[in-house]
Amino acid sequence: MSGVKLESIVKAYGALQVVHGIDLEVEEKEFVVLVGPSGCGKSTTLRMVAGLEEISGGELTIDGRVMNRVAPKDRDVAMVFQNYALYPHLDVANNIAFGLKIRKNSKEEIAASVDEVAGILGLTDYLERKPSDLSGGQRQRVAMGRAIVRRPKVFLFDEPLSNLDAKLRTQMRAEIKRLHKRLGVTSIYVTHDQVEAMTLADRIVVMNDGRIEQIGTPMELFLNPVNAFVAGFLGAPPMNMIEATIGEGDTSPVANFAGGQLALSKLSELQNSVGRKVTVGIRPEYAQIVTEATLGSVACDLDLVETLGSEALLHTTVGDEPFVIRTETLDKMDTLESVTGFTAQPDLIKVFDAKTGLALSGQTREA
Amino acid sequence: MNGADGHKADTPKVAYTQRSRMNRIVDHLKRDWQLYVLLLPTIIWLVVFLYKPMYGLQIAFKDYSIFKGVANSPWIGFEHFETLFSSEGFMRALRNTIAISFWSLVIGFPVPIILALMFNEILNRRYKSTAQTIVYLPHFISSVIIAGIVITAFSPSAGIVNTALSWFGIDPIYFLTRPDWFRPIFIGTTIWQEAGFQSIVYLAAIAGVSPTLYESAVVDGASRWQMMWKITIPCILPTLIIMLIIRIGNMLEVSFEMIILLYQPSTYETADVVNTFIYRQGLQNGQYDFAAAAGLFNAVVAFVLVIGANSIAKRYSRTSLW
Repeated sequence: MSGVKLESIVKAYGALQVVHGIDLEVEEKEFVVLVGPSGCGKSTTLRMVAGLEEISGGELTIDGRVMNRVAPKDRDVAMVFQNYALYPHLDVANNIAFGLKIRKNSKEEIAASVDEVAGILGLTDYLERKPSDLSGGQRQRVAMGRAIVRRPKVFLFDEPLSNLDAKLRTQMRAEIKRLHKRLGVTSIYVTHDQVEAMTLADRIVVMNDGRIEQIGTPMELFLNPVNAFVAGFLGAPPMNMIEATIGEGDTSPVANFAGGQLALSKLSELQNSVGRKVTVGIRPEYAQIVTEATLGSVACDLDLVETLGSEALLHTTVGDEPFVIRTETLDKMDTLESVTGFTAQPDLIKVFDAKTGLALSGQTREA
Repeated sequence: MNGADGHKADTPKVAYTQRSRMNRIVDHLKRDWQLYVLLLPTIIWLVVFLYKPMYGLQIAFKDYSIFKGVANSPWIGFEHFETLFSSEGFMRALRNTIAISFWSLVIGFPVPIILALMFNEILNRRYKSTAQTIVYLPHFISSVIIAGIVITAFSPSAGIVNTALSWFGIDPIYFLTRPDWFRPIFIGTTIWQEAGFQSIVYLAAIAGVSPTLYESAVVDGASRWQMMWKITIPCILPTLIIMLIIRIGNMLEVSFEMIILLYQPSTYETADVVNTFIYRQGLQNGQYDFAAAAGLFNAVVAFVLVIGANSIAKRYSRTSLW
């Protein structure tokens, strides 16, 4: 079992605590993505797993062995860095072979491993090139080659795609996914890009301010965020958040906004919360446009239409709050400019407590 | 008429290019005039102290008289150079210059690099800064004081070196009057004085190496020794090459003041270098033209050395001075 277990892991620099007792269990062969805003402690957590940062408290085990005091080289992990960390004076072959040479593997073994890895990553034609003669994507592949050539128990990725342009990032994302499927090595991946997190992860760990906000599969987190932070962090564009008050409707509770009201699910907690101040979360793709004000819709003012091709983003305001609607464009282009409001299916609306930001109970939805 | 062969058509284009280049220069001057003003003192210094004196180089080919002046002294061709190469004193100075320069380069060039690598490995900040200060200090002390310290340290009567030797029953050695000891003492002194300060360049180069290279190597299992050999040194190699080229260019510029301060007639055999020879011939004996010929020869050799070192560096690595 080459899983990774973090129990009450703490990182402090003097009196300043930056990671506050994290508990996380990464199963063997699992691909876990740590995601969160800058400064949330995700990279620090990864570096503690790698052994590049000392663990201030708690216990880290890899493959069932406590690693707190074990040197990085003896943890059997390999790390891919954000800026690739390629040795500028070595060619691709020697960069890939570096770790094996350090471990004094035989020349034949090194040559065979480098050839195999270069084949997997499509680097065979570039083995004699220096990093400065490679494109960003090729450099990233070399960095991954250097990690996989050692056949470690755990791969650690520290924002490996953030230096690439959007197109290359999409391409490399798919390559990492394919590579993980092929090699089946336990992987922990750090990113602040929620799209990377959603597309790559078996499970996502959303972090904020040195704490774990939620752990779950991408769809679990997307559909059932435990709080407004997770709801707002995952999804592009992010979930719309509008202040509302819960009221009593004819058949179900309703959320009253400045510009109208929306029916909510018939959940007991919502039914018992009439008059409660809440934050209502509606994903841009779940809002349906209306061109004439009707009962059960919310009025909004259209600011801007961003056409993306098959779909468009409508930037509107509800009262003073921004609200984005994602809608299909096919046969709808004429109606987009005349949008006056929106509506949403009750079971797709998330309701969070206005003060704590926690989701009100009973709103779970199956993927 | 140029119209038939197309020259006429080219003329406005050339004029346009020249005008636009002039415009660009004027624009640059207007936009960044403050920077050019800052540059001015250096340019003035270069012109006054380095370029203008070149006018006087012609006396190396003249029978110079201070009464006739540089322009009116008669030309005598390479006569001074012929005298120079037939002079035993100059040939000895040349041999000594080459020997001292060679050993200074072989021993003195790696010392600041080793110092910088060692400083880089010191983890305790306070200890590191104290060690650095101690090693940099001699650079800021006047050569006269350094020479005084050396003379005192090697004094046969009260010098610390001879005192230490006496503990082992060794008779006092007159180090500074013996030709065989001059070069080791001189080279050691200049290394002691300058190695620390020279290490700053290499420390700066080491600071420029990306920390993630070391982190990556740590994860790969490299020891500090391996990281020094496999990461630090290769990464600062361009700086090493540039510094080596500069050092080779200055090879014949042996520390003139220090030799003047430490040598004496009994050590001329190993201590007299081209610069001290020029000093004695030019200023002490008043043979300015002869001294100028020796100085010009020195400069030409230095120029050839720089060009040669740069060409070799360019051919065998991607780094060169120009």
